[in-house]
Amino acid sequence: MTALVVVETVVLVLLVVMVTGLLRSHGEILRRLHALGAGLDPDAVDAPAVLRPRGDLARDHAGLGPAADLAGEGLHDDAVSIPVIGVRHRTLLAFLSSGCLTCRGFWDSFARPATLGLPADVRLVVVTKDAAEESVRVLRDLAAPDLAVVMSNAAWEQYAVPGSPYFALVDGSSARVVGEGTGATWAQVQSLLVHATGDEEDRRGSSGGGAAATEARIDLELLVQGIRPGDPRLYGSTGVPAS
Amino acid sequence: MTRLAAHGVGLEVPPGWEGRIVRRPSIHPAEQPRAVVHVASFPLPEARGDFGVGVTELMRSGDVFLTLFEYGPESLGTPLFAPVGIPQLTGAIFGSRRLQRTLPGQLGCQLFFTTDRRPFCLYVVVAGRLHLRSALAQVNPFLETLDLSR
Repeated sequence: MTALVVVETVVLVLLVVMVTGLLRSHGEILRRLHALGAGLDPDAVDAPAVLRPRGDLARDHAGLGPAADLAGEGLHDDAVSIPVIGVRHRTLLAFLSSGCLTCRGFWDSFARPATLGLPADVRLVVVTKDAAEESVRVLRDLAAPDLAVVMSNAAWEQYAVPGSPYFALVDGSSARVVGEGTGATWAQVQSLLVHATGDEEDRRGSSGGGAAATEARIDLELLVQGIRPGDPRLYGSTGVPAS
Repeated sequence: MTRLAAHGVGLEVPPGWEGRIVRRPSIHPAEQPRAVVHVASFPLPEARGDFGVGVTELMRSGDVFLTLFEYGPESLGTPLFAPVGIPQLTGAIFGSRRLQRTLPGQLGCQLFFTTDRRPFCLYVVVAGRLHLRSALAQVNPFLETLDLSR
């Protein structure tokens, strides 16, 4: 009888230790998801931006790091190769997934490209993990027909993506990542674009990029504030465009 | 170069170019699904016709678009597909009247051939005659990378 009580006590202690460990692990996972803007609380979508430099990766002094072309599968039984280096434009890589709740807002935003306010020289490409780690059927429902989507675990590894949603802005001519980070809303990602554009101008020197780049940066800053072409706030009290 | 392979087609996309290998679903039950390759020197839109509808309208001077379209086994042995092997291109076969859709400044060529008992059509569009030579200097090496053996 005593032996039975001892065995039961040992088993109970082991169970308590195991449950405590699991709860701590669960808490840590939730904490990290929240830090990435992928918390389970739907009200947390409008939380402050968590855009940040990637201090956890070794970066050279010239920028955030090298970029790599994309290759993988598409959503319709196709093979896809999309260049992001050696091209004239910049590419905004949106690392999303089919299961991430925070990503839903981005899928919805991407279905209305005219409202995104992307600069003319920025191409948007969504990168998900391989088909084995995603629900392709859900992705087909989420992705707008005119949205470029590549499923590629290799791209997630090459860009050291910590989780979804995550964004990287690649400059095609320099073959470098010029900005990266995460955010819970499209407005926060626009802020990433503004900072990346400004940083890139600084890196190239004050004359780099010229008036067109400055104009693009100002446009983006205005868009982040919700000020679009024709907004009366652009015209001051007179109601006419400033000369 | 980026290596792409799917649906019995392998290829190496030139640096800075974009590539897709899709499979067109069969319409008739007796019909086999067919491979369609799109390669371009510029960003491809997602909505594309097999022979470049929705694509060639977006081309700027110097751009190149290429389609490789597989036909069904019923085309085997027909005179149209008599040439054997993946062709190489010359400037002489390009013309503005060889386009599926005529657009100002664009030149095209369309070649039918059979390889490994698979009938194909190769359709190439170049925007701007001045760029034809440099386009061929990229397209012909690309064609040499094609692997159409199942």
